[in-house]
Amino acid sequence: MSTYLCHIPTQQERPTRAALEVLTHVRTLARRDGARLAACVLHPAADRFVEALKPYGVDQVYLVKHPALDRHLNAPVLTALAAVFRAAQPTLMALPSTESVKDVLGALAARVGAAALPDVSAFDIGASVTATRPVMAARVLADTEATTQPVLVSVRAGTYTAQPAESPTEPEVVEVPLDFDTATLRATLREVITGTTGQVDLSEADIIVAAGRGVRDEAGKQLVEELARELGAAIGASRAAIEAGLFPASLQIGQTGKVVSPTLYIAVGISGAIQHVAGMAGSKVIVAINKDPDAPIFNIATYGIVGDLYQILPLLLEEIRRIKAES
Amino acid sequence: MNICVCIKQVPDIQAPFRIVDGRLQFDVERYVLNAYDASAVEGALQLVEQHGGTVEVVAIGPASVSETIRKALAMGAERAYHIEADPSDWDSATVATVLAAFFRDRSYDAIFTGKQAQDTDAGLTGTMLAELLGLPYVSNAVGLAYENGRLIVTRQGDAGREIIELALPGLVTISNDMNDPRIPSIRGIMQARRKPIEALTLSDLGLSPEQLRPRTRVTGYRPIPPRASGRKLEGEPAEVVRELVRLLREEARVL
Repeated sequence: MSTYLCHIPTQQERPTRAALEVLTHVRTLARRDGARLAACVLHPAADRFVEALKPYGVDQVYLVKHPALDRHLNAPVLTALAAVFRAAQPTLMALPSTESVKDVLGALAARVGAAALPDVSAFDIGASVTATRPVMAARVLADTEATTQPVLVSVRAGTYTAQPAESPTEPEVVEVPLDFDTATLRATLREVITGTTGQVDLSEADIIVAAGRGVRDEAGKQLVEELARELGAAIGASRAAIEAGLFPASLQIGQTGKVVSPTLYIAVGISGAIQHVAGMAGSKVIVAINKDPDAPIFNIATYGIVGDLYQILPLLLEEIRRIKAES
Repeated sequence: MNICVCIKQVPDIQAPFRIVDGRLQFDVERYVLNAYDASAVEGALQLVEQHGGTVEVVAIGPASVSETIRKALAMGAERAYHIEADPSDWDSATVATVLAAFFRDRSYDAIFTGKQAQDTDAGLTGTMLAELLGLPYVSNAVGLAYENGRLIVTRQGDAGREIIELALPGLVTISNDMNDPRIPSIRGIMQARRKPIEALTLSDLGLSPEQLRPRTRVTGYRPIPPRASGRKLEGEPAEVVRELVRLLREEARVL
């Protein structure tokens, strides 16, 4: 029986939504192909996530518990993933395409001798593993295929919908020992500077309010923040808005930043440069607010408003508050 | 500090193209230095300008790649290696294998790569190369400093900016958010003409066709399916906003 394995990153005591999306799709493939569905969790206290995986129908959970896995650092994560890979012997390993996964995917493929299909927007298993990848700053789709086995696939957030299985499972739990001496580390983590504590995480958010070059001062930033708060949304930004110094770089959405696909994406003062669109074109509903009627963002927007954000956002806030008060 | 930067020549992703029978066809064949690699060259030059040392570059490709190599030399790299090959059917694993063979008998304090290539957006080669060479690495670097024989690398991670101390020799993959690459000066361009480019073949590197077999391939290209055409709401601002909220609730059902 072949094994399909999913890497399940966690955040604040829960598997991330992006991980559960991938797991849901892999479950569908595993049930169809009669394969074993395995998941792995890397965390100093990995046991506590087993419960959250049961509704998703996993047959096996691999746990790697080590203090070095408390914060992301590529060497221990790589060693842990390779250890799980050797224990599970999967034909396919799927991972959500986060920065932490991008940090190790190539090295993991080289270490375990796997083919790698990174940052895909769809994949399937047939005679070979096939995947669709947006390339050239998401201007075109490449149909790709792995010509060897095993295969690693990293999947863009929002590609699939997370859904529990029809019936939960009682998975076999396999603990994989990690032989890792932190004293041998040649790359060490000094500190992590977080810019967005307490706010909704971008890659996990249902609604995103994103600021662009048109947001040019503190007052504009406050309007964006107020709208995000009112909608329970995460805040994102284009490269231009980050370069203007108004938003931290961790909020960047685009080819080089985060790739997001929320249910609702509100682009405020964003022109829609291809590098930015590459990171958000998968959003279900896109609202664009921009002064320039020719801004390319209007070509992909579900609803567009040509207007000054400094005038539109206060009206929008007022309307949303009115609706909320009514319901 | 001696740094070697791996550079790639890529099609200009802004250039107009068509898809004919599943293949990409550019109206004008225009090739450029991968923007992420340009940032890697810039990052290396800045370090060496502050702390001494040399910057060299290595590229793989047909003869036409020399144009891109000259660009890096004009920016300030001192010498270049051109691995002559046709990599059009290669994947990241093949490229990393070739680069690993190149680096095996050479000694640098640091190897830099762009964090991904603009055409494939795969982002695998750098960390594959580090693994093949057994080097510690940091990916997606947005800041670089040199302290007491170590690189202090800032990387953009999921939770924020991670400050990492990297022992040397090590490898760093660099984001275009690190810097704005310099535009070569006329003097730089003139000097680049006299800088050495050493040509190497795959057999010079002791590579057999067996080792070059890719693990993945592109079977074809397709246009991105167009989004259903949207609606521009026009009129008096307060009315337009009211209509937007109504559409979001009743038509799109997302509020």
